Amino acid sequence: MNSPRNKWSVLLAAAILQIAVAGSVQAQTVAIGAIVPSSGPFAEWGRSNTVTLKMLEQEVNKAGGINGAKLKVIILDDATKPAQAASSLRKLAGDEKVIAVAGPLTSSAAEVTFPVANEMKVVSMSQASSKPGVAKANRPWAFRNTIDESILAKSTVPYYKKTFDIKTVAIIFDAKDATAATVGTKIMPAMMKDNGIAIVNETDPLSFNTGDLDVSAQVTKMKSLNPDGVVLSADYSQAVTVLREMKRQGFIKPVVGATQLISSAILKAAPELPIVAPATFYASMTGGLAAPFVAELQPMLRKESGLPAEIEPSMYDANIYEIVSMYVEAAKKSGVTGKPEDLEADRTKVRDYLVKLDNFKGLGGPISFNDDGDAIKAFYVLQGQNGAWTTKVQGCSSVPGHPAC
Amino acid sequence: MLLQQLVNGVTLGAVYTLLALSFSIVMGILGILNLAIAELFMIGGYLGFAVITAHLSLPVAVAAGMAGAAAISAVIEKIGYEPLRDAPLVTPMLSTLGFSIILQNIATNMWGSDPLQLPDEFLGGRIALGPVSIGELQLIVIGVTIVLVAVMAYIVQRTSMGRALRAVAENRDVARLLGVSGSRITLTAFMMSGALAGAAGVLIAIHYAAITPYVGVEIGLKAIAVMVIGGTSRIWGALLAGPLIGIAEVLTVAYGGSQIRDFVVYGFMIAILLFRPQGLLGGSGADQGQRV
Repeated sequence: MNSPRNKWSVLLAAAILQIAVAGSVQAQTVAIGAIVPSSGPFAEWGRSNTVTLKMLEQEVNKAGGINGAKLKVIILDDATKPAQAASSLRKLAGDEKVIAVAGPLTSSAAEVTFPVANEMKVVSMSQASSKPGVAKANRPWAFRNTIDESILAKSTVPYYKKTFDIKTVAIIFDAKDATAATVGTKIMPAMMKDNGIAIVNETDPLSFNTGDLDVSAQVTKMKSLNPDGVVLSADYSQAVTVLREMKRQGFIKPVVGATQLISSAILKAAPELPIVAPATFYASMTGGLAAPFVAELQPMLRKESGLPAEIEPSMYDANIYEIVSMYVEAAKKSGVTGKPEDLEADRTKVRDYLVKLDNFKGLGGPISFNDDGDAIKAFYVLQGQNGAWTTKVQGCSSVPGHPAC
Repeated sequence: MLLQQLVNGVTLGAVYTLLALSFSIVMGILGILNLAIAELFMIGGYLGFAVITAHLSLPVAVAAGMAGAAAISAVIEKIGYEPLRDAPLVTPMLSTLGFSIILQNIATNMWGSDPLQLPDEFLGGRIALGPVSIGELQLIVIGVTIVLVAVMAYIVQRTSMGRALRAVAENRDVARLLGVSGSRITLTAFMMSGALAGAAGVLIAIHYAAITPYVGVEIGLKAIAVMVIGGTSRIWGALLAGPLIGIAEVLTVAYGGSQIRDFVVYGFMIAILLFRPQGLLGGSGADQGQRV
């Protein structure tokens, strides 16, 4: 019985048993998908999102992966095109067998992609969509790690009014951007009225299209109406064009907008012009997990080709980092196996974990989700001027006293 | 406000004019739309931007933008047009569309998708003329456009090169019998077209003090409308139609609503195609075949 041959047989059998047991518990990799715009007009965001996710993948695997399995983040480019985002989700869920998807970035893409997520029964969570009701219309698989712009505006507009003694505003928005158009035509007009601010171009909305470089006519018209301030609803890269034209025409007025304005690039467009906008994260935030995140990510972003040398981590980098971190936590704590035969069950476990998520440690504070699938988290009303953003008001997207606040 | 809007419209129209001429030269000679012109315009803008931020003068920036765009245009002609010259017209057009997308990708990879912004010192001063305020750069844009259109008109109408261009446009085979090299003239047309697009790019980049890789798309489409409205057979047509469309666009935004701006511009183009296909200055309907 104790012959060397028998010893080897026992050892071999034990090894086979161990592999078989491990195989039944956990696959070798757990795949999570991401949809980001690495090309097209918002390529900067997509590329920095990609660097962020690669950093997170390394962090997770270095710390032992997901219950012993390696994390694999599969990133697809949607070029900010809704149809491409939807087909990316199909590929990730159908071919790559991911347990959940981070993205897509824009509301336009989310509106088209979230129904596909419901059809394929896989969680899809946007890192930037903030148009009201986009996740709510696509429950139970759609989530957003963002706050509805109508909630943010309730804190932003009163601060703007009080600080700059605003009695009248002109509104200009990007008509081709779903979030910008909703903020410019619905949210901000209603919010201005609620705060007793008159809109000088209420009957004659001023808009431009994504990609327009000439907005001289719109700015000349705003200037002729002589408002106390300007509501500028556009993604920051488009807003830069309006701010440059305002400066060129000597039309220096305080500007208010939505989360889309938050960037370091916008502060260079017209540094003397005050800009007020809400955010859930900004690169110069202090305290908590934000500073270490920026310290680790920023050098990696600045080394990446195709990104500006002075780039800083954006709110959307923070959001997508939190999203995949939440998926990893869900996978660890709810017993996701990553095995093909458990795929449907794994996806359901991730979704159920998110629904009940309680005080996940986000970069800007704790995170939970409301019944609409939107994040409950802290936010800040920021004022940008002379090259820096500073916090002026702190708020929360839920009622005071909620643990996430 | 009306006078100020007219100034805005003329400035915008000046850029449309240059770009429309750029389209018109290739269209006139070869009968195809070179869809890469919008991106040559963008590349010219980035080159001008680089020169200006290196604190070199505006003429150097314009020259660099023109030279760079002309060189790329020559490459497009050699790779994207010449080998496909005998194919159906749509084939070289699709080839130029491919170049357009490649150039846009190259620009995004080199300079990023965020707008590049010139420092404030390059925004230029403004001159007050009663109720109207004109930027120094607006005057430069209009002035350079007039000079370039005049130079182009002189080359096409008064020089042997221009006569060769017109001969090839009229009938390539007959021109060759008369000793005109069709290939050389085609290359020249592509390079002249690229140079004009590059100049327009530099002007718009310094005027708005910002540029993105996607700036060519919208302006390129408007320039095609300007080319159609002015008539591809007359250089002066673009000089008339450019400001006309620029003014129509800004007045629509100012008095009609920004939402109907593109409806007005492209509606005008469709009306011209339906009722005066030779364009505003295109002469009689029989003038269709004679271009440049």
